[in-house]
Amino acid sequence: MRTDAAECDDEGPRMTGPITSLKMLGVSEAATPPVSQSPVRYRYSMAVAVRKDLVDVHRHAWEHIASPGSWWTGAQRVRIAEIALGAINADDPLPPWVGLSSSDRYSDDGVIPSTAVDITYRIARHAGTITESVYESVTTDVGELPYVELCTVVSMVAAVSTFHRNAGLETPALPTPKRGEPTGERPDKLAAAELNWVPVSAPADQVAAVVQAYTAVPSGHEVTWRLGAAQYMPSEEMVHPDWVRRADGLTRPEAELIAARVAQLRECFY
Amino acid sequence: MLSWSSEHNGDTVDLGSIASGEGLVGEHAEVLWRFASACGQRDDAELAAARQAVVDAVDEAFMVDAAAVAANFEMMTRLADSTGSRLSPSHVEQMALTAGAMGVADTVSRR
Repeated sequence: MRTDAAECDDEGPRMTGPITSLKMLGVSEAATPPVSQSPVRYRYSMAVAVRKDLVDVHRHAWEHIASPGSWWTGAQRVRIAEIALGAINADDPLPPWVGLSSSDRYSDDGVIPSTAVDITYRIARHAGTITESVYESVTTDVGELPYVELCTVVSMVAAVSTFHRNAGLETPALPTPKRGEPTGERPDKLAAAELNWVPVSAPADQVAAVVQAYTAVPSGHEVTWRLGAAQYMPSEEMVHPDWVRRADGLTRPEAELIAARVAQLRECFY
Repeated sequence: MLSWSSEHNGDTVDLGSIASGEGLVGEHAEVLWRFASACGQRDDAELAAARQAVVDAVDEAFMVDAAAVAANFEMMTRLADSTGSRLSPSHVEQMALTAGAMGVADTVSRR
């Protein structure tokens, strides 16, 4: 990466875990170079200048994933991220009705429950097929708040990995998990929402469904919206149809065109 | 958001163009639609070509911004679908019009 945008060639931790072959997750190793066993390097193989705020927020998301969450350890969160990354990059993905844990692509070592393995893969690759009955079934096993945290990890992985692919860059390797127990952090008060299946920080339904969706897991909510601010626009600017990040940058309708097309391809019609 | 921001900027958008790529409005709309389409699909050669088309049409920083927006909606679609996010009742009628224009009934999932 050219250094006019950011100084970001520091080494980070290494990817670990039993998923030692991308083929285990249905990924063609020849066609999909993003995941590597080498140290995290924000030094890109192509000469593409990336804004420093993007580099910083993506690196922060990776570090966040490696840290203990509210309900999952760092090792569990990195495992969720590995599965998500494999699902996103799979050239021959499992169909949504086949659980990764019951396939020959995954070796279950008990780091996360099989229900979490399967829903991680499905959200990462087939999110449009998640229904309320799926949600209810999964949360009976893993719990509502751990489920929300799992969703935050999967969606962050989608953001970071697809940005790099879109821009023609190598996705940084996943980080080494940090030690520590889950924090148990939660909002002072939770509420059932009319606009979401998941519980949210009280009071519910005072903001848009997507804005409140992750509020039951405060740290995941915060990092998600930091990503959104750098990748799309700061939330406080969304009411301004003329907002642009910089002169000669994307106009608001241009950004919305991209957003609408990606959402349409993902069959997400929120 | 697309209709609203476009109307504010003096354009009327046919939401069917999001699915078809035809009748797009805006100076860079065609290259951005091609790029967004490639970002959301699996053809690496087409993605490389579409990426270069954006760079050629504007510049590299513009392409990076576009890549980031596409990535953001890879995040947001998973957020919305996994948490059962839905529009408030006051927006449902508008959503129905949008969904019809974008061909929701023809999609695989069509929940």
